[in-house]
Amino acid sequence: MADSKVDRPDTPTPDPSYEPQDRGIDRRSFIVRLGAASAAVAALPPIVARVAHAAPNSGTPFADTVRPEARNDPTECSISEAATLIKSGALKPSTLIGAYLERIATWDADYYQAYNTVLAEQAIADAQRLDRTKYIGPLHGVGLAFKDNYYSAGVLTTANSFIFADFVPEYDCTAIARVKAAGGIMLGKLQMGPLAGGRPTTPDGVITTRNPWAPNNPEVTPSGSSGGSGCATAGRLATCTMGTQTGGSITGPGMSNGITALKPTHGRLSVYGIIPLTITRDHIGPLARDAKDAAIVAQVVGGPDLNDPRTIGLPPMPNLVEAATPVVKKGRVVPRWALRVGVPPGFTTGTTPNAVARVAMLNQLAAIGYEIVDVTLPDEFTLLNSGAFNVSSSERAEMDFKYLKQDVRLFGGRLTGWLPSIVQGGAEVAKGLRTRLLLLDRCMTQMFNQCDVIMQTGSNFDGIGLPLCTFAIGFAPNAQGITLPLATSVGGPPFSEESILSVIAAYQATTTFHFERPADPVVGVSAASRTRGTRITCRDVDLECRAAMEGTVLG
Amino acid sequence: MATPTNPTDAELDAYILLRFGMLGIDISVLPFNDPSAQVDQMSVLSGCRSTLRQSLQLLEYELDVQTHIAAYYASPQSAWTTPDEEDRKSLRERKLALGY
Repeated sequence: MADSKVDRPDTPTPDPSYEPQDRGIDRRSFIVRLGAASAAVAALPPIVARVAHAAPNSGTPFADTVRPEARNDPTECSISEAATLIKSGALKPSTLIGAYLERIATWDADYYQAYNTVLAEQAIADAQRLDRTKYIGPLHGVGLAFKDNYYSAGVLTTANSFIFADFVPEYDCTAIARVKAAGGIMLGKLQMGPLAGGRPTTPDGVITTRNPWAPNNPEVTPSGSSGGSGCATAGRLATCTMGTQTGGSITGPGMSNGITALKPTHGRLSVYGIIPLTITRDHIGPLARDAKDAAIVAQVVGGPDLNDPRTIGLPPMPNLVEAATPVVKKGRVVPRWALRVGVPPGFTTGTTPNAVARVAMLNQLAAIGYEIVDVTLPDEFTLLNSGAFNVSSSERAEMDFKYLKQDVRLFGGRLTGWLPSIVQGGAEVAKGLRTRLLLLDRCMTQMFNQCDVIMQTGSNFDGIGLPLCTFAIGFAPNAQGITLPLATSVGGPPFSEESILSVIAAYQATTTFHFERPADPVVGVSAASRTRGTRITCRDVDLECRAAMEGTVLG
Repeated sequence: MATPTNPTDAELDAYILLRFGMLGIDISVLPFNDPSAQVDQMSVLSGCRSTLRQSLQLLEYELDVQTHIAAYYASPQSAWTTPDEEDRKSLRERKLALGY
């Protein structure tokens, strides 16, 4: 029987005037654009402009309690726990960073293969400096790692590709610069699907990163393309990581590795200094241990960036950390906001472990106090999300045209993601761009009129830039008998990160799946250093990209 | 009205290779048909044919040109185009000025 009882003190009653920001986004403006009668619009009550800084500034990165496991092993710590211990002086940044570097040195080369570059000397120097410095921000002394398509000053940034094999940027991307400014320490750069597609491999397609829940079995994918990021967070090789998503590349690894991976609304987090895959669908986001950690990193990295015009003129960053802090009343976790959680058709159909776990998760949300509602999908939702309507590959062909002319072999197994758009006409691209607004209109008026947030499994929201966040909801053995995480994701309308994170935080406050950690590898079994890995082809990459889009990563 | 043709794979391949040639893209450096290769000419051509065959479906999809402008950034645009108080004031003043 689902219950929301917890052994925690009550939290202060939230300010009732504090509402999630997406409620301030005017859904009626979509009705206007849909051509509804102007008289009907005129009859609506006047719209009260949302006050930009209505959220109370009471969210802190610190944890109410630090688990004994985290006190005994710093690599167990969430950001929140590490911040609490570091701020109190119970943990030194150099101890935390040393623990990660030791774990990386012990396991990464032979088993996890999550890292492309480990910045051990620099990380130790940064940690020792922060040992002696007063507390400078929420990531003070915390070790993070970044997908290898994040520009990092003076550090090789390859996108795991032949094209960028020798690329050393002169500056940090906005995300890394902001993480460092908040006290974060860069442990290194992470493996990824070449040119941000498919599971991580070498540029010539040899499988690298493993799923940390099956570190002795290279066949079990950590998913892609941010597979190194997912593996490093779940495998305790970094406190938190960051990845990129154009078509499921954060949420796919988030689900496969059983972690809390946030793909924010397009424009929330600057993509300045990210090797682009497309101009209009690229997102960045944290792959974290829990909702609060995801919120802390998004809060640090997000907000306007003059170097990325897509971040300008948007609603200001709300207090995501506050939103991701569960509310406890009389010993029970209660919803921070009364939200309707939408369940799309087929979400709980069947008797698979996934379906059973989804039912249990929904029961848990209901026990907390959320209204669970079955929702219908917008008209032509599948058609408008289909490959025919996704014209963004023309953007990558345009950007990388000189490399296509130079030598198509530079693209390795990803070439088939570039060349088809070269034969596509401009009229198709224009039509594809116009259908984006139609799809968003329909999501707003035919889906988010039924619910406030919605359960998702794929990445149907990428083209229109809606936010999504994954979280673990159980564990079950796969066909080979290997126990892997079961996960799902929650999506919402533009700028609904607060709502999404608040739901996941409440769920995680009453469950323990997010505390589960994979066992260490068994020494000597399928060590990568002794075997040449399996090579995958463009056909495998295409299949995996499609699986990530459709949410069938876990089978 | 002419009925769309249904070209064969060979006809489409010729079109695709002509387009590549015009642009200076050379796929002959790839193995011709080797499923074990990381990428071969056949998989490139297959992907291109599929995209071309989807063109008609996409172009024939009709939507209102007045209400659905092209959206490079759909979600940010939802914020950029949400009328603010200034917009509303301006619209009210315009109505008054025009005597609506």
